[in-house]
Amino acid sequence: MGKVKIKNLKKSFGDLEVLKDINLEVKEQEVICIIGASGSGKSTLLRCINALEEASSGTIEVDGNDITRADGNINKYRQDIGMVFQQFNLFPHMTVLKNITFAPVALKLKTKEEAEETARKLLRSVDLEEKANVYPEQLSGGQQQRVAIARALAMNPDVMLFDEPTSALDPEMVGEVLNVMKQLAKDGMTMIVVTHEMGFAREVADRVIFIDEGFIVEEGPPSEIFGNPKNQRTINFLNKVL
Amino acid sequence: MSIPELIVQYWPRLMAGLVLTVEITIISLFFAGILGLVFGLLSVSKKKGLRAIALVYVDIVRGTPLLVQAFFIYFGIPQVLGIQSDPVISGIITLSLNAGGYLAEIFRGGIESISRGQMEAARSLGLPYGMAMRSVILPQAVKTMTPALINQCIITLKDTSLLSVIGVTELTQTGRLIIANNFQSFEVWAIVAVMYFVIIMILSKISKRLERKMSYGKSKN
Ligand SMILES: Nc1ncnc2c1ncn2[C@@H]1O[C@H](COP(=O)(O)OP(=O)(O)OP(=O)(O)O)[C@@H](O)[C@H]1O
Ligand SMILES: [Mg+2]
Repeated sequence: MGKVKIKNLKKSFGDLEVLKDINLEVKEQEVICIIGASGSGKSTLLRCINALEEASSGTIEVDGNDITRADGNINKYRQDIGMVFQQFNLFPHMTVLKNITFAPVALKLKTKEEAEETARKLLRSVDLEEKANVYPEQLSGGQQQRVAIARALAMNPDVMLFDEPTSALDPEMVGEVLNVMKQLAKDGMTMIVVTHEMGFAREVADRVIFIDEGFIVEEGPPSEIFGNPKNQRTINFLNKVL
Repeated sequence: MSIPELIVQYWPRLMAGLVLTVEITIISLFFAGILGLVFGLLSVSKKKGLRAIALVYVDIVRGTPLLVQAFFIYFGIPQVLGIQSDPVISGIITLSLNAGGYLAEIFRGGIESISRGQMEAARSLGLPYGMAMRSVILPQAVKTMTPALINQCIITLKDTSLLSVIGVTELTQTGRLIIANNFQSFEVWAIVAVMYFVIIMILSKISKRLERKMSYGKSKN
C-alpha cells in the first residue's frame, strides 16, 4: 500500500511547464532521494506534495487522501506531512521550544504541557536539549536545521519532505543534520529527500529518483543508479556531480 | 504681556487645546490602526479583487491633500446627507481615514518584508492562513514596522493642527483665538510651538524605549 501516490502530475508556471508527467509511488517507511540538476523541478515536485504549489493536473494521494482535491481540508492534510526547508525557516520571534510546540498547541492537538514534553523528547533526539529556551538566531545553521526537523516531527507526520536540507549549511555542519536524518530513516519514517548529498543518497535511500526537465528519467536502488546508470542523461549528470 | 505672563493667563485654554489635540490623535490613530491593518492585509491577499480595494483606498488618501479631505468630510458630505456636522467628529474621521491609508502601506511593506519561507513553514505545519498571519508574520512585521509606525503617530499628531480650519479648538486653533484677542503673534506661536515640540519629544522617547523592548532575545550590540 503506497503512502504517497503521485499520478500524471503536471505543473506549469505560466508558460513554463516544470513538471511534465510525474508518476511516483512511495511505500510506507521507504526513503526516496530525488536528485537532478538545478531547475529540473525537484523543489516544485516536493512543494506540490504538501500543496505549497497547486498541481496543474494529476493526482497526489497521501495516505489515501487526494490533496489536489483537498480544498477546505488542506490544513488538516498538511498536518500529516512534515516539511524541512533549505533555509530552515524557524520562527525568529519564538524560542526553540515555542517553535516546536506552537503548531500542536495552536491547533489544539495537544495541551501546552503535552506539547512541551514531546518537544523536549524531540530536542533530546536531535541532541539540542539544552537549547530549549534560546532564540533561533543564537544557534548555528546545523542546530537550526535540527530544530526545524524536530518542529516538523512534533506534528507526528506520516511523511517527511526534505528540500536540500543541508545546502545552506557550512560543510562542517552537514554531518550533524544528515545523522539526524539517518536516524529518522532507521526509525521507519517515510521520507522524500531532495539532495545533492550523493553519499547520503547512496547510504540511506531505498530508491533514488533522477529528475530531468520535468520527467523522472531513471529510478532504482542507489547501487544501480550510482553503480550502473542506464540513461545517458543520468550518466551525464552523475559525471558532473560525482 | 511677557511670555511668562501669557502662559499664566492662558494656561487653562492652552492646556485644553493640547488635551484635545492629544485626544484626537489617540482616537484617530486607534481607528487608523484598525483600517491600516485591515487594508494592509487586503493588499497582500492572493485575491486580486481584495488587493484592488486596498489600492483604491490608499491611492485616494495619498492622492488628495489632507485639507481637502477635511473640507470634504466636514462640509461636503454633510451637505449631501443634509445633516449637521460636528468639527471634532469630522476631524477624527478625516485623520482616521488619512492615517489609515498610510498605515495600510506601512503594514503592507512590513508583511512583505518577512521572507516567504516564514508563511510556508507555518502553513506546512497545518496552520491556517489567518493563524499563520497573526502569530508568525505580523509579530515579525510589526517589529520591522516600528520606526514607520512611530513616524506616522507623530505626523498624525501634527496633522491635527490642520483641523483648526474646520473650527476644532485644538492647540493651533486655541493659539489663533488667543492672538485674535491680544495680537501677540510672536509670543503665542512660540508658546504653541514649544508645546507641540515637548509632547512630540515625550512621544518619541516612549517609542524608543518600546522599540528597544521589542527586540526579542537579541544579542544586544
Ligand atoms: N513560483 C514560481 N514561479 C515561476 N517559476 C518558478 C516558480 N518556482 C519555480 N519556478 C521555475 O521552475 C523551474 C523548476 O524550479 P525548482 O525550484 O523546482 O527547481 P529545482 O530542481 O528545485 O532546482 P534547485 O536544485 O536549484 O533547487 C525553474 O526553472 C524555476 O525557475
Ligand atoms: Mg530546489
